[in-house]
Amino acid sequence: MFTEVTLKLLEGFGTTLEIFVLTLVFALPLGLIISFGSMSKFWPLKWLTKGIVWIIRGTPLMLQLIVIFYGPGLVGTWATAQIANGASGFLIEWLATWQVFDRFFAVMLAFIINYSCYFSEIYRGGIESISKGQYEAGQVLGMPKAQVFFRVVLLQVVKRIVPPMSNEIITLVKDTSLARIVMVYEIIWAAQKFIKSDGLLWPLFYTAVYYLIFCGALTLLFGWIEKKMDYFKS
Amino acid sequence: MAILEVKGIYKKFGKTEVLRGIDFSMEEGEVLSIIGSSGSGKTTLLRSISFLETADEGTVTLDGEVVFDAKSVFKRNKKEQREVQSKFGFVFQQFNLFPQYTALENVMLAPKLLAKEREDYKKNKKEILAEIEAHAKALLDRAGLSDKYSNYPCELSGGQQQRVAICRALALNPKIMLFDEPTSALDPEITNEVLKVIKSVADLGMTMIIVTHEMNFAKNISDKIIFMDEGVIAEEGTPQQIFTNPQNPRTKEFITSFSQQTEDL
Ligand SMILES: Nc1ncnc2c1ncn2[C@@H]1O[C@H](COP(=O)(O)OP(=O)(O)OP(=O)(O)O)[C@@H](O)[C@H]1O
Ligand SMILES: [Mg+2]
Repeated sequence: MFTEVTLKLLEGFGTTLEIFVLTLVFALPLGLIISFGSMSKFWPLKWLTKGIVWIIRGTPLMLQLIVIFYGPGLVGTWATAQIANGASGFLIEWLATWQVFDRFFAVMLAFIINYSCYFSEIYRGGIESISKGQYEAGQVLGMPKAQVFFRVVLLQVVKRIVPPMSNEIITLVKDTSLARIVMVYEIIWAAQKFIKSDGLLWPLFYTAVYYLIFCGALTLLFGWIEKKMDYFKS
Repeated sequence: MAILEVKGIYKKFGKTEVLRGIDFSMEEGEVLSIIGSSGSGKTTLLRSISFLETADEGTVTLDGEVVFDAKSVFKRNKKEQREVQSKFGFVFQQFNLFPQYTALENVMLAPKLLAKEREDYKKNKKEILAEIEAHAKALLDRAGLSDKYSNYPCELSGGQQQRVAICRALALNPKIMLFDEPTSALDPEITNEVLKVIKSVADLGMTMIIVTHEMNFAKNISDKIIFMDEGVIAEEGTPQQIFTNPQNPRTKEFITSFSQQTEDL
């Protein structure tokens, strides 16, 4: 039984990892773009971005998951009903085509949007903490803005954001368990199945081992990165 | 012909008029010190000359070329901007070295990036880089930093950092060097090592403007002194004139307050 549970949980943990990796792959660059938006000198863009970030960071990820998963289906049903009642028009017809997303897709969408916003704030904090003097020193040496950013500022930003980033990324590991509420087969869901099928509760506790090992490995990795950048102070 | 000509510079920050009509010119190889009380606009003037600040009115002419004219917007591409910017070497009060690069890398960074834009870069990469490195090392040697090539800024004293910063500014072979209170952030004991390096640069014939509160240094090194007061040049003259025979009462007051301070010490 133990081996069977271990294997099943491993299978579930595969999905957990998939959510984790895909979220990072998309949210890390997207977050940087959003942070540029929130620091823009063009105020409509700045306030739009800040508004979106405020909404995403101000509501639970669980709620966002539910809205993204069930929302489009509800809109589609509503619009179809309106058409049946005699409504017409391009917009309503388009809305009527809305359908429920694929479960996994909905989860990824929610996680990527949510984490991009969190990452963007970390990037923003890092970028804004670099002194104006660094930019000016680059400028008086004739370096164009992009060069100043990539050659001078970026590594300093990276050094400063490693600690908050590692926190956020470790939170992400555990947040993946939220995918269970739209019935994506990740590790918690895999463990819960044993309650129903075999009346076993311990597999659920056993999942903690997976999380602990994985987060432990991440902690070591981030510690190593921090150490790698110890050679300079900024 | 004057190498630098500054005409009618005005600069406001919001409602505060910080510069209210600045005119002066310099000959090649001349050393000009700018003195004046805090808030008189010295930093803003240096920054307006070197594109760190955009003046509201006025022109700056360097080596016969109008590099700034408040009336016409210069649409320079990156290459042109780089060229004109690198004619001005700027040394900050706070050094502003790049922390993730060693002393040598700090000095070599800008010349290396500039070299990449040369057409023959790919073909002669090795020679070009070797040349840049040799030049950077020569500059550091002259500043007494031959054993600090591979030290990071956090491993250097303030005086050493500022000397690296001077070398970094010199590495692009500027036409003129601008120093904004280069020793104000340093402990008094180590200001001398930096002043010595600045002196050695002046001795090589570099044109330079030094904003400073080191009155003795200004007296010794300068060909000309400008005393600024509330955004205008209140008095301009040789060190002799300014220090021993100031005409403007404000200059007199400033000079006496300074000599008193030194006596108090
Ligand atoms: N970016 C800015 N925004 C608003 N006001 C500014 C700015 N920079 C300078 N000022 C103001 O302009 C005035 C002149 O400043 P500046 O730094 O040029 O003086 P300074 O002569 O260099 O003084 P110090 O000897 O203290 O360095 C000051 O009143 C300062 O508050
Ligand atoms: Mg100043």
